Amino acid sequence: MNALPWTQQLILVPILLPLLAGALLIPVNEARHNLKFAVNLGCNLVLLLSALILLGLSDQELWPGHLGVYLAANWMAPFGIALVADRLAGLLLLLTATLSLAALVFSSQGWSRIGVHFHSLFLFLLMGINGAFLTNDLFNLFVFFEVMLAASYGLVLHGYNTTRIRAGMQYIAINLVASLLFLIGIALIYASTGTLNMADLGPRIAALSAADLPLLQIGAAILALAFLTKGAMWPLGFWLPTTYAAASPPVAALLVLMTKVGIYALIRIWSLAFAAGPAAGFGLDALFWGGIATLVFGTLGILAAQEPGRMAGYAAIISSGTLMAVFGHGDPQLLSAGFYYLLGSTLATAAFLLLVGLTERIRSPGAALLALTMEAFAIDEKPEEPVGVGIPAALAFLGLAFAASALVITGLPPLSGFIAKFSLFHALLNGEAGISLRDWTLMILILCSGLAGIIALMRFGVRTFWASGAVQPPRLHPTEAGPVTLLLGLCVAMTVLAGPLLAYLERTTRDLGQAGSYVEQVLSTPAVPSPPRGEAP
Amino acid sequence: MTLSALIIAPFIGSLVAACLPANARNREAWLAGAIALAGLLFTGWLFMQADPGEVLYERIAWVPALGLEFVLRLDGLAWVFAMLVQGIGLLVVLYARYYMSPADPVPRFFSFLLAFMGSMLGVVLSGNLVQLVVFWELTSLTSFLLIGYWHHRADARRGARMAFTVTATGGLCLLAGVLLLGHMVGSYDLDAVLAARELIITHELYLPALILIALGALTKSAQFPFHFWLPHAMAAPTPVSSYLHSATMVKAGVFLLMRLWPALAGTEAWTWIIAGAGTCTLLLGAFAAIFQRDMKGLLAYSTISHLGLITTLLGIGTPLAVVAALFHTLNHATFKASLFMAVGIIDHETGTRDMRILRGLYRQMPYTATLAIVASGAMAGVPLLNGFLSKEMFFAETLLVGGDSNWWMSYAALAVGVFGVIYSLRFIAVFFGKPDQPLPREPHEPPRWMRFPVELLVLTCLVVGVVPAISIEPILHQGVVAILGEATPQYDLAVWHGFNLPLLMSFLALVLGAWSYQLLRRRFNLRQREQAPLIHRFSGAQAYENTMLAISRAADFMLRHLGTRRLQPQLLAMTLALLLVPALLVGMLPGLLAPAPHPADAFFVMLWVAGGACALAAAWQAKYQRLAALALAGGTGIVTCITFLWLSAPDLALTQLMVETVTTILILLGLRWLPPRLRDAGPAAAPPWPVRLRRSRDMLLALGGGLGLALLSYAVMVRPMPDSIASFFLEKARSEGGGSNAVNVLLVDFRGFDTMGEITVLAIVALTVYALLRRFRPAAESIAIPAQQANPVDAATRQPPAEQANSGYLQVAGIYMRLLLPFMGITAAYFFLRGHNLPGGGFVAGLIFSVAIIVQYMLAGATWVEDRLHLRPHRWLGYGLCIACATGLGAWAFGYPFLTSHTAHVELPLLGELHLPSAFFFDLGVFATVVGCTMLILVALAHQSTRSHRLPEKADPAREAR
Repeated sequence: MNALPWTQQLILVPILLPLLAGALLIPVNEARHNLKFAVNLGCNLVLLLSALILLGLSDQELWPGHLGVYLAANWMAPFGIALVADRLAGLLLLLTATLSLAALVFSSQGWSRIGVHFHSLFLFLLMGINGAFLTNDLFNLFVFFEVMLAASYGLVLHGYNTTRIRAGMQYIAINLVASLLFLIGIALIYASTGTLNMADLGPRIAALSAADLPLLQIGAAILALAFLTKGAMWPLGFWLPTTYAAASPPVAALLVLMTKVGIYALIRIWSLAFAAGPAAGFGLDALFWGGIATLVFGTLGILAAQEPGRMAGYAAIISSGTLMAVFGHGDPQLLSAGFYYLLGSTLATAAFLLLVGLTERIRSPGAALLALTMEAFAIDEKPEEPVGVGIPAALAFLGLAFAASALVITGLPPLSGFIAKFSLFHALLNGEAGISLRDWTLMILILCSGLAGIIALMRFGVRTFWASGAVQPPRLHPTEAGPVTLLLGLCVAMTVLAGPLLAYLERTTRDLGQAGSYVEQVLSTPAVPSPPRGEAP
Repeated sequence: MTLSALIIAPFIGSLVAACLPANARNREAWLAGAIALAGLLFTGWLFMQADPGEVLYERIAWVPALGLEFVLRLDGLAWVFAMLVQGIGLLVVLYARYYMSPADPVPRFFSFLLAFMGSMLGVVLSGNLVQLVVFWELTSLTSFLLIGYWHHRADARRGARMAFTVTATGGLCLLAGVLLLGHMVGSYDLDAVLAARELIITHELYLPALILIALGALTKSAQFPFHFWLPHAMAAPTPVSSYLHSATMVKAGVFLLMRLWPALAGTEAWTWIIAGAGTCTLLLGAFAAIFQRDMKGLLAYSTISHLGLITTLLGIGTPLAVVAALFHTLNHATFKASLFMAVGIIDHETGTRDMRILRGLYRQMPYTATLAIVASGAMAGVPLLNGFLSKEMFFAETLLVGGDSNWWMSYAALAVGVFGVIYSLRFIAVFFGKPDQPLPREPHEPPRWMRFPVELLVLTCLVVGVVPAISIEPILHQGVVAILGEATPQYDLAVWHGFNLPLLMSFLALVLGAWSYQLLRRRFNLRQREQAPLIHRFSGAQAYENTMLAISRAADFMLRHLGTRRLQPQLLAMTLALLLVPALLVGMLPGLLAPAPHPADAFFVMLWVAGGACALAAAWQAKYQRLAALALAGGTGIVTCITFLWLSAPDLALTQLMVETVTTILILLGLRWLPPRLRDAGPAAAPPWPVRLRRSRDMLLALGGGLGLALLSYAVMVRPMPDSIASFFLEKARSEGGGSNAVNVLLVDFRGFDTMGEITVLAIVALTVYALLRRFRPAAESIAIPAQQANPVDAATRQPPAEQANSGYLQVAGIYMRLLLPFMGITAAYFFLRGHNLPGGGFVAGLIFSVAIIVQYMLAGATWVEDRLHLRPHRWLGYGLCIACATGLGAWAFGYPFLTSHTAHVELPLLGELHLPSAFFFDLGVFATVVGCTMLILVALAHQSTRSHRLPEKADPAREAR
């Protein structure tokens, strides 16, 4: 019997494991926090491990074309649903597993207990995100988006209060409309090409006649609108800062990742569907300028924002805008720099959002406001005795962690944010076609957004850590400090290992550029032959 | 590992220092001092070892793909600066040991100080420009932290923010400039850039690159118009001011200009930008320094002025000017650091730095006074001190650059000389005269070792000033050769060059300065002046704060116009995008609209007119009449259902019917708890025109959206189907899927994976609804019993639901409905079992089963049903999902992928051969999940009633008490 090798079965684990664990946890009584947490934690660790293995496997010569294809229900593509693990998917699975582990551990002390079914919803969310990264089928992608969104509705409302209900209402309404657009887009694409398989799309689109093309393009544009709503492109992304600010910190940290899922889907589908043929590169220009508009909007937002949660939201919008513009630009070297940027900014924004929950403990709004006014009007205090205030260890940790995440978000040296920006600029300046107006625009805007981030985050940091008049050191539990340290430690590791990581990302981008081999690989993977009829397997 | 040790050691020291206890002043100082001393000796030794002119390298690969390499490069210039950084660093550490109060948290101080030392060494030793930028920003960051060291003071916080904003912005510009350089040269390696002068200065991007790099250097070195941050940085502890803000960090800017001098200098643009900024700074700084009342403020402006002098020299661009610039950099570091330390001592001992109060300190602290007077002599350019030599070189260069005709540069230089003498005199005035008011503290000489760094530095000033050729020239020469290479000019460091114009200028400056000082003091009451004339209106600090405020206000303003926090405008934007984006990207779709192949059936058209009318009416009534809207929406659902039947899709019709039924009932149950929406009181006047305008806009948009989607649907329907994957499913459903109902086979086999996801969504939604409603309290206005149920004539109003059904007016209905339960159960089982071959399946069966239970709830109320029937929706949900998963996983046992279906043929005694497809079990999971989901939502809603009736009674006593 030629059974599937375990390496292939592993592709399913990131989807199936959270589903099973989440389902099993539904009937378990809410009082058994520790059991639920333990199951969730174990599940997360396995996910981390499997993501690591998948990442390693896709980078080796085990699978032809570095693609692991899994035919669910044993039907060949394009008829059945194929899951595909490649370098990009492996990387994003790893990012998901890391981030979720951090968010989970962070939530273990308090946040997971302020409502019911946190752990099941959390696991279902992971299932949805992982599924969206792995699937190669448009409708299946929709299903996983729905799983992800439904779980995120529940999580945004988790531990609800007025703010969360209000923000959740907005979030749900917008995303339902986006889902509707998603469906319309898929329907139009299916109507014009007759397939739902992403790999199958490319050749079919290339073969479409000029008369049939507009319908497909309209479908693709509507589909893109759905993704861009989730990726928060201006003017579709106003829901984002409100939602981030309202959600509980661990949930907000996971939301950061979800923004990237929309952009991932866009990159995946476009690099397969519009790789060649008369419609090659459809809409990329619009995407670029949309990304620029988003970047401008995020920059303005981060300058104007006063609450840290909104600030993080606008930081996420900035990073979304950058990524959209980078993908819309179309230069492969730029894209691999963009992936590096994605990793760093996601980790840092998530760490920042976790920190926001902790800094609430040391803020005393009155003192901060007074300090702000005095600085704004350049009022000098009477010089006091030059004796400093000792920062207790917990406060020092918060300050350092805040500084580190701010450095990554704004792209200041020496952490990964700087390498990311540098590599973006390097790619922009040293592209093959010389430096165009678009390159200059993007470069200047990225610099400006970094500067705006510096101004805003410094204002917030000074107000929180220096001017708060915090007398008592905040209470800090290891399960809260640990995840933040993990996320920021990864940013440091990304800086040190920038060379190998960028090389890996370059291979990833090259894979994306070779749509032909992807298509061939997916469509030619055979189903496991069934035994002759009548014989019991 | 040799050169990198120089940089790594301070950073490790910084980490260690951070971990030491808060009161470990001595240990901290020893640690920092040892690191600085070891570094100093090591740097000196390294250079002795190397051949003259040799450049030492250390390379560590970092990101080779981007040309980013970690390169440390020690040449003469780097050596001179490294010695300066570590030498002054050592003295500052010693000084800080005594300066910092025992109550200060010193670990932080020494930790940041060491980190700064490492970063600064990184800047001077960088052999790669990007790496230089990294360390450059690190110096800004550590400077920020050190300025804000006493962060409970507003001036410290403001100074730190200002310094960081300005220098970090400059750093970003520098990064951009360096990237442009790298683009021009093709490498970020310093050697490659220095060797490519011709390429760079003829490149079209030369000017932007130069401007950006200059912005970086000028902000860092506090040059006009970015100079304002430096005086505010004086809020830092004095050792920091002495180290970072006079001797080293602010020199990073001029260091960069020297470093890149061979590659960038010598063009007209260079001279205009660099020398222009330098000259303005020079005059402005010196002028402002005269009128300060804070001793540190005076020194800060004087530093600005001296940095301007160095910048001007570099801008002039002759080789000799470069020599003078480097020379003055070293001289300034020595005398200014010692002056800052002296001010620190005065501040420490007297408790003030205000020159309006300080008087006659010579008597109490003669030793410190002598040192400070000598150092300010160097600052003023008094002969036999080092400042005199470099200033004279500056005068000579200004004369040279102007030639015979253009004297403006020389006038400026002379003016600066005069100003320098004035503020130096003002500075030393604190030592003379009679104290006219008591000082905060009784001054006395500082501890022996606190004074030692000052003594050493002042001694250096003297030695260099008297015997420059022996003392400084060998060191200076190393640096100069590293910058200029073969262009190194002949120069002669000597006190006496004979009578010439520069000497005359020095002399004039001294005389005029002394005279003007007297004049200012006598006539203009210089001592008590609080502001500099003319320029005090241009407060950089206020301008900075105003700019920041304006930026955030402008951003806020723009944000309010470009964004929104409300839901409606967002939906508007989405609809607009839906209409415009495809239209703009693809254009209209005239070609797609072919005439329909068949004429429409009249009945079908009527059906759709009715459905459309229902939908419109639902939208129309949704605001005030929710019940009507819901009923109308149900009408639309029925039309959809009939349409499916009409188009031969019985599966879909059946599912649609059941979904409509269940959702309508559930929403109805929910509607009970929504507070009614009341119409605005008052006469129904015509709405004002902005409202009408908005409504017309929305109307147009709605029409456009609806029409667009209708057209798209039409286009899809009239075009021939493409060669799609659909035919495959129809062919294989029976032969390979084992079922004749292709829709069901599609759901449980071909795309069973989708179904699994969908039931997960159902489960999630149910859980979310449950979580939301679990502790939900209905709004106050919807708690009261509805009017229909409160009629006193009706006997039923006094009966609970169960009683109504058992013995009340619902008795007949009750008996029938309860009898119906098993039949509905059988119907569900029937639809479930036939699903694989005929319309039906787990989903529909689950809904039918749910309806059976909902009916019981509606009849007799939640309490009655739950007393008799233990539904555990959570288990139904959880186990349903698990059954579906387990069925899929069963395939693994046989080596097949997840969800691969298999049909077993079982011989049963009575029923005969039975086809038992694995899809059957999968469908069972679907069934259980659907039942669990519906039940959970039902229970969550139904329990509102049990809770809300209790509520008013509980709330009543509280209300009465109020």
